[in-house]
Amino acid sequence: MSSVTLEKLTKSYGSETVVRSISMDIAQGEFLSLLGPSGSGKTTTLSMIAGFVTADSGRILFGAKDVTRLPPRDRKLGMVFQNYAIFPHLDVFNNVAFPLTVRRLPKDEVEKRVRQAMEMVRLTGFETRYGKQLSGGQQQRVALARAIVAQPEIILMDEPLGALDKNLRYQMQMEIKEISSRLGMTVIYVTHDQEEALTMSDRIAIMENGRIAQLGAPRDVYEHPESVFVARFLGEANLVPVKRLDGILRGPGGNALRVEKDRSQLATGKIFVRPEKIRLSSAGEPVDGNFLPGKIRSVAFLGNVVRTEIAVDDEVDIVCDTANSDRLVMPKAGDLVQVSWLPSACHVLEG
Amino acid sequence: MPLGRLSQWLLLAPALALLSALFLVPIVWFIAGSLASLGGASEIWGETQRTLGSTAIVKTILNTNVIALTVTLFALLLGYPMSFALSRLKGAAFTLVLVCIVLPYFTSIIVRTYAWMVLLGRRGIVNDMLLSLGLIDQPLALLYNRTGVIIGMTYVLLPYMVLTLYAAMKAVDMRLLQAAEGMGARPFEVFRRVFLPLTMHGVLAGCLIVFILAIGYFITPALMGGPSDMMMAMLIEREIELSQNWPAAALMTIVLLAITLALYSIYSRFNDQSGAEGF
Amino acid sequence: MTMSLKGMRSSRRQFLVGGATLLAAPYVLKGKALAAGQVIVRTPGGVYDEIMRKNVYDPFTEATGITVVPVAATVAKLLAMFESGNVELDLIDTGEGPLIQLERKGALTPIDYGSWKLSKPENITEEYKSEFRVTDFAYATVLAYNTDTFKGDAHPDNWPDFWDAEKFPGPRMLADMATGTPNLEFALIADGVALKDLYPLDVDRAFKSLSRIRPAITRFWDTGALSAQLMTDAEVVTGSIWNGRLQAVMDKGAPLSFTWNQHMLQLQQVAIFKDSPNVAEAQQLIDFMMQPSVQAGYGAALRYSPSNTKAFDLIDPKIVEQMPGNPATRDKAFVQNVAWWEDNRDAINKRWSSWILG
Repeated sequence: MSSVTLEKLTKSYGSETVVRSISMDIAQGEFLSLLGPSGSGKTTTLSMIAGFVTADSGRILFGAKDVTRLPPRDRKLGMVFQNYAIFPHLDVFNNVAFPLTVRRLPKDEVEKRVRQAMEMVRLTGFETRYGKQLSGGQQQRVALARAIVAQPEIILMDEPLGALDKNLRYQMQMEIKEISSRLGMTVIYVTHDQEEALTMSDRIAIMENGRIAQLGAPRDVYEHPESVFVARFLGEANLVPVKRLDGILRGPGGNALRVEKDRSQLATGKIFVRPEKIRLSSAGEPVDGNFLPGKIRSVAFLGNVVRTEIAVDDEVDIVCDTANSDRLVMPKAGDLVQVSWLPSACHVLEG
Repeated sequence: MPLGRLSQWLLLAPALALLSALFLVPIVWFIAGSLASLGGASEIWGETQRTLGSTAIVKTILNTNVIALTVTLFALLLGYPMSFALSRLKGAAFTLVLVCIVLPYFTSIIVRTYAWMVLLGRRGIVNDMLLSLGLIDQPLALLYNRTGVIIGMTYVLLPYMVLTLYAAMKAVDMRLLQAAEGMGARPFEVFRRVFLPLTMHGVLAGCLIVFILAIGYFITPALMGGPSDMMMAMLIEREIELSQNWPAAALMTIVLLAITLALYSIYSRFNDQSGAEGF
Repeated sequence: MTMSLKGMRSSRRQFLVGGATLLAAPYVLKGKALAAGQVIVRTPGGVYDEIMRKNVYDPFTEATGITVVPVAATVAKLLAMFESGNVELDLIDTGEGPLIQLERKGALTPIDYGSWKLSKPENITEEYKSEFRVTDFAYATVLAYNTDTFKGDAHPDNWPDFWDAEKFPGPRMLADMATGTPNLEFALIADGVALKDLYPLDVDRAFKSLSRIRPAITRFWDTGALSAQLMTDAEVVTGSIWNGRLQAVMDKGAPLSFTWNQHMLQLQQVAIFKDSPNVAEAQQLIDFMMQPSVQAGYGAALRYSPSNTKAFDLIDPKIVEQMPGNPATRDKAFVQNVAWWEDNRDAINKRWSSWILG
């Protein structure tokens, strides 16, 4: 089994640097997602790990072994591609067997391993089908079976679920997670879908402009983003502009806003708080922690939550998510209300 | 949106009319008329036996097929790497190579064939160079023999191969090749197990097109061949020009047409299948 | 189009009606073809046309106002045209052989010698004229060789020499079946047959003889242009060739020469198509062509021998020496028996095809 280490990996195309000195350690058996918008460098990073793209500088280690200059075929990786890359001229069996047959494994060994892999992805019976006789989900399973069939220590996945519809995607997320942890494989998973990253990963590396903006466990990066970019990228975020006056952070309307872990060196900034941490109450009602008065601009029923947008001044809207429940009283647009949150639920960011 | 049967035919009508007027009617009329001029069925049968039973025609059919097959093979061997390069190139380089491949085809086939004669002659450029380099003592016989025919025809027919292969190669999803490499395949394995099978229908189509064109060839073998490099088309021409033996020419034409149509039906069947599988 | 379904069933002749209409399309498209004051002439094309235009057609037009339109057509095309009854061509300027074929099919109009105003029929060499055909010039197939390869007197000097590939090594050429008359005569001469005993040709013996020299033959030439090119490019070092074609490249400095020994005289003739649209104009053009001064012009340019005996007087004696049929060389020649070829060509064509592939 193998860990993956990236040391100051850099890659430029012409004058454009797409990956800027990335370093990270991915533990053996870890499920790590590279998450970021398109152009953030996540696919290039994955391609360097795969060996399709050669790093300009820096090193890639699998365990203790430097693989920076190794061609892809010698890196012994399992791979799932964005478009599945199912060979149209081969049936399912031969697609899945491909990583074994190119390595010239004995025929009975190939059959045994393909059978195992097919069972694992629950595709038994589809051996003689061709790619385009399969549904999207089935193609995804073929790709997955092919990635694990050679029992690689490391699997790379490049947006493997991008083409699936939402329900299927969730189901496949669970299966991939389950299979990879069962086999103890190190998984590096590229996605631009933050929910997917949160669901599946042990850790998430959020990438921005070729750099790692933040690396951490899903809950950690969700609750404690270190930048406005990360806060915004991982779901809905309220970012309330504040100014420090006499040592106290003041928000819209001059209201004092307290933060449990204040950063006193910041003269201005944004207070970050997730919508589900916000409580909505009638104007004048006594509340705990920070509060801002405002007027409801809109109310949207999303099923499990009700999303309310509250204008706290001319420029700042606060989004509040309230869990749906039997006791819920639906707010109405135009109501005068106040929003409140605990100092422990927020922190202040640069920007 | 699927077109109605009628509108499909209407769209095809101009092409069919042109084909009928310029090809179908004349050839049916030529063959039927020539054979009818012999008299009844027994006379036609007699002439058929005489014409198709002669050693000359048997040898010519054999010759024609051997030459066409050889040309097809060489066109494939040369055309495959060329098409591959072409399918990899982009922008100006692509245009340049494409123009280099296609441009000679804007000059007349006779001029091109003469250019080869200048190159390949006993005192041609190729022999001069080899002699002055001391690689050979005697000029090589590159012209007025089978070698000349093969070189000339391969050159003339190469673009058909290249463009057919190019279309097939361009359609190959390059990510599949990368995927294969990532799965442990060496470059040759990537080629043999992925690229070649994925371009195989192009190879077959290209070979059939070149072969079909080659078996009907006339000018190049007539100009560059030796005494015994007789091909079907030349024999047909000779029957008409020298003997005014239209029935014999018609019978030979039927043979040539039959080979062509048989191959074409294989080609179109194959094309339909590969189309259905969506390669 | 005059094609009819009835015609298709009835006979080959009828069938060819439509074919000839198609074949004749280019002339129709010329637009002027059927107009009055024209003569449409079948010519061999190429350099020949240029020489004829300069020496015959343009002066004729100047003198009479009648335009001359040269067109190319093969024998098969001419025959098809005639058999279809769609004659759109007046004068045929070609070898004796094809004209004999046409004459035998009744496709020619008698030449109106009586109407000649410019030329005198009695000045035309007797065996060069007949009811339907009159010779515009005689040409010869000679034995040519490369003077770089064969220096001084050590050159093939007759057909037995040509057949001796050990004494005179090197690639060779002879005329192909496609010329209509492959060099069976030379094969027989090489095998010891006297010039006067050639006809009727002993075909078996000729092919046997040809088989002996076959390994040394690079190419059988099918056009005059190819034969000249093969000699000029030294693709072959010796071969049979028309003297005019050879002289043209020799004059340009090619290291070539030839012998008059055992040369074959052949005739280029003109004839008028029966039912041609411009018979009178064609007769006029023949009269014009047969004048000594006109023949002297194109004869000297082509190095082919005039049929009008008076023309020789108007040509530089040095050039006359380079022409076949002159008194100095006449006894070294034999005249090709074209009628024999017309009777035997089909059989020889079949024989040739098997032989060449054998």
